[in-house]
Amino acid sequence: MSDERHPETLPASYEDIEFDNNAQRLPLVLCLDTSSSMAGVPMEMLNKALQDWTRELHDDVSLSYSVEVAVVTFGGQGVTVWRGAQPLPPQASVSPFVPAYAFQAPVLTAAGVTLLTEALELALRIVAARKTELRTSGLQYYRPQICLVTDGLPTDGTGHLTNAWQRLVPVLTNDQAARRYRLYAIGVGNISDMGAQVLEALAPEFNARLHGFPFRELLQMMSNSINAERRGAGEEIQAKIFADFRTQRSAWDA
Amino acid sequence: MDGRLSANWKVHGLSVEGYRHRRSGVPCQDAWAHAVSDTSVVLAVADGAGSRSRSDEGSRLAVELATHRFARLAGRPCPPGEAAHALLTNAFHEVCKEFLRRTGGAAYDFATTLTVVVLTPDWLGHLSVGDGFVVLRAGRTPDGDRLFHLLPQPAAVSEYSNETVFLTSPEAEDRVSTDCVCDDGVDGVLLSTDGLAQAALSGRPPVPNASFASAVLRPLDSPGTDPGKDEDDLATLLRSDRLTALNADDKTLLRAVRT
Repeated sequence: MSDERHPETLPASYEDIEFDNNAQRLPLVLCLDTSSSMAGVPMEMLNKALQDWTRELHDDVSLSYSVEVAVVTFGGQGVTVWRGAQPLPPQASVSPFVPAYAFQAPVLTAAGVTLLTEALELALRIVAARKTELRTSGLQYYRPQICLVTDGLPTDGTGHLTNAWQRLVPVLTNDQAARRYRLYAIGVGNISDMGAQVLEALAPEFNARLHGFPFRELLQMMSNSINAERRGAGEEIQAKIFADFRTQRSAWDA
Repeated sequence: MDGRLSANWKVHGLSVEGYRHRRSGVPCQDAWAHAVSDTSVVLAVADGAGSRSRSDEGSRLAVELATHRFARLAGRPCPPGEAAHALLTNAFHEVCKEFLRRTGGAAYDFATTLTVVVLTPDWLGHLSVGDGFVVLRAGRTPDGDRLFHLLPQPAAVSEYSNETVFLTSPEAEDRVSTDCVCDDGVDGVLLSTDGLAQAALSGRPPVPNASFASAVLRPLDSPGTDPGKDEDDLATLLRSDRLTALNADDKTLLRAVRT
């Protein structure tokens, strides 16, 4: 990865040590709904939350060198994968993952359809590819995390509701059993009961239906979860962090 | 390795809390200890599990028990090879038994890794459960540069680097690894917990980062005029942003050089 930057705080007697850029990595994919229903205030709040969270990541010495962020959006006419603030062309060979210290949040706009299924499939592919790259490079890594956020129901390319997402369920079930990544599926805004059921089917352990658009709190929860993962936290602790987040949100909403 | 070992090895250890623990006021969960006698030097480091409530006590208990039990068994004459492996395994068994006796039903909360090196006049023994590691200094390149060697580590338990085996894990006795090294040329030893793995090792399969190992053994080979400054500098290195960027865990370095 380019954009290397290193804090230089070594005592003079150790200045001759040569370090590799071999921090343990934690790939994180933000898989975000940018369909037309997110237009207006929700999208403004999402962009603001992404900017603030990016600044916090840059300021956190421990997260900024280990977390790698990729963004996948679904809206407009299809699915877009971003490398930081830049959308990547389809079939691009460059990795969309950017080390957190170099990550710049994209400025997203809302329009179009909700290709949630295709976006999540793309997220799974880039996570698998990144793990292969890290292994090949001899770099150690933590379990990747994927955070899916939507306020609606999956549609096809013409905007019609579709059950295509059901093809993902056995894949996700198998992957979760193999602990290939941890998937969070978060419903925001006025997501319907049916929308919430889709998220529950996709991510039985880590799904939530949040009132409003608490993107900032959501991203902070992801950072907390990442920190816990790096401490070696087990499933029970991750479940508690998520349960606390859900409970706290309910208290705020009350 | 001849003569009185207590006079032949200089030992220094240091543990510092990691970035996250420093910010949240959580105590360091790493520990180190050593025991020196005329017949052996025992070095031990331990890394308490970050997610367990009393793992700082667990790591301290582990190194305390290890230095005592390993030193006691190594006090009797023992040839290298199978007998040495058996000695290491027996000592580990005693440590586990006593650890579980003292922590009782709460053993899960005390989870910790353990890495031990035993220096005897005839051989060097190594035992590890979890992801601690040991680097030896022995020999030189044709150009005269010092050579460093990573002792074999137990097999990883999963593809993820934060998952490991603890002294208290049911599978600990199956996952422990032992080595016996017979090499009079070993004149430097480094033990560390995984918090320094990225700084001290590189590549795949991992090999020692010679610039790191050389630098941290240098103050023991050639101490400065102020031992306090040597220790402060090492602590500054271990707490530096440069090392935190590689790994934000607690860090422990236990060093020994032949005098």
